[in-house]
Amino acid sequence: MRLLIIASIVLFNTFGLTAQGKFSTKTGNITFEASVPSFEEVKAVNGDVGAILNTDTGEFVALALIKGFRFKVALMEEHFNENYMESTEHPKAVFKGKMDNFNPDVLTEKVIRVQLPGTITIRGISQSRVIPVGLSKVDGKIKITGSFMLNPEDFDIKIPSIVRNKIAESVDVFVEFNLRGE
Amino acid sequence: MKKIWLLISLMLPLMLCAQDELLNELEESLSTDTAVRAAFKGLKVVNFESTKLAHKNSLVFIVSHRFGTVKNGFDDFFGLDEAVTQLKFIYGFTDWLNAGIARSSFQKTYGAHLKYRILQQNTTGNPITLVGYNLLTVNTALDEDGFADFKFTDRLSYTSQLIVSHKASERLTVMIAPTYLHENLATRSFVMLPDETLLEFDEENDQFAVGVGGRYKLTKRWSVNVDYGIHLNRNKNSVYNDPLSIGVDLETGGHVFQMHFTNAQPMFENGFISQGSGDWGEGDFYFGFNLSRIF
Repeated sequence: MRLLIIASIVLFNTFGLTAQGKFSTKTGNITFEASVPSFEEVKAVNGDVGAILNTDTGEFVALALIKGFRFKVALMEEHFNENYMESTEHPKAVFKGKMDNFNPDVLTEKVIRVQLPGTITIRGISQSRVIPVGLSKVDGKIKITGSFMLNPEDFDIKIPSIVRNKIAESVDVFVEFNLRGE
Repeated sequence: MKKIWLLISLMLPLMLCAQDELLNELEESLSTDTAVRAAFKGLKVVNFESTKLAHKNSLVFIVSHRFGTVKNGFDDFFGLDEAVTQLKFIYGFTDWLNAGIARSSFQKTYGAHLKYRILQQNTTGNPITLVGYNLLTVNTALDEDGFADFKFTDRLSYTSQLIVSHKASERLTVMIAPTYLHENLATRSFVMLPDETLLEFDEENDQFAVGVGGRYKLTKRWSVNVDYGIHLNRNKNSVYNDPLSIGVDLETGGHVFQMHFTNAQPMFENGFISQGSGDWGEGDFYFGFNLSRIF
């Protein structure tokens, strides 16, 4: 009997997974900036960020490839990958989170602010964060925007003293996802 | 109570799995950049060109020095008084096509080159980066009066090179560079006999060489670099030696400093391949550096 209960729960869960409503994108945007006034701009954009929102559970994941970040100065991009992010060894940045009491039906064009707790993983190091995000629904697409700060040393990114004054201590990150129903 | 825990522990992997499953979906859909980049820090290994090119629209300015031989010690401060200087500008028209101009004080030589990437090493099957390099040099120090029937074209030398590199790991990159060299006026060796008769030995106009070398990164910003040029048809009486160079690279953002010891003082390919006059075995070699600034 016990086995039957467990089996039915397992099965139920599996069905639950397959019947989810999913919204996703492959062209999400992450911009970060660590510029210091009067020095060269340290800013990069990745326009190929993947993200999926499960509208039944409020679960949200996003994945950015480190090599997908584009800088104005190609040399800066090369050093970002080789010296700072070591993108051959750690090619991905990942966010996994879950919004509590998420209800897609209340979304309109008007932006509502919600908290998105989750884990950011960069260079294999995970950090728990609560990201404040804006949610809205425009033309059938769910739009998620947010901005937050990251500290390079939290992810063991070492900035040598010779460039220390040209790179900001904390990095401003802006994200935008326009998720389309699957 | 026990049952509840059992249930939770059974469901927990499923709950966790939900996010990971979403993540897996994402990973499958994203296309990765497979190019293997940053095989070298500098555009040169030491003397030989590396497979690195200047990026699109970037201008690289390189100041290079090869001092005189270190063997005279304090007489000329280990060669400091005998410096040969080369100034070079390189522009990236695209990420795969560079052109450069340079002037070296060795034989008052001007040079112009093209460098172009043909193949890029990647993680999905191509193990090498292949780069082509063509250099034309004009030796303006040649004195017309020393030759009968001297033509301007006698000042010209042509170097054509294929450079193959393989980045074996984040630290180690190796390269090999088959080289064809044509000197309109071939390099001449003078040998003085004991009775003071002077013999002349000319190289072939067409010369062949193979450059081998590599770099090993010690830290993110420091590396050890070595290159060696093997001349394949140098004449037996030549006074010149194959160029062997060893040095370090230091990259500091926009600059790359390359400091080294080498037994060749010229810096153009035709120069250091055919006219390296130092001899490591006799403690006769030169200190030098290449300093590059990227704009």
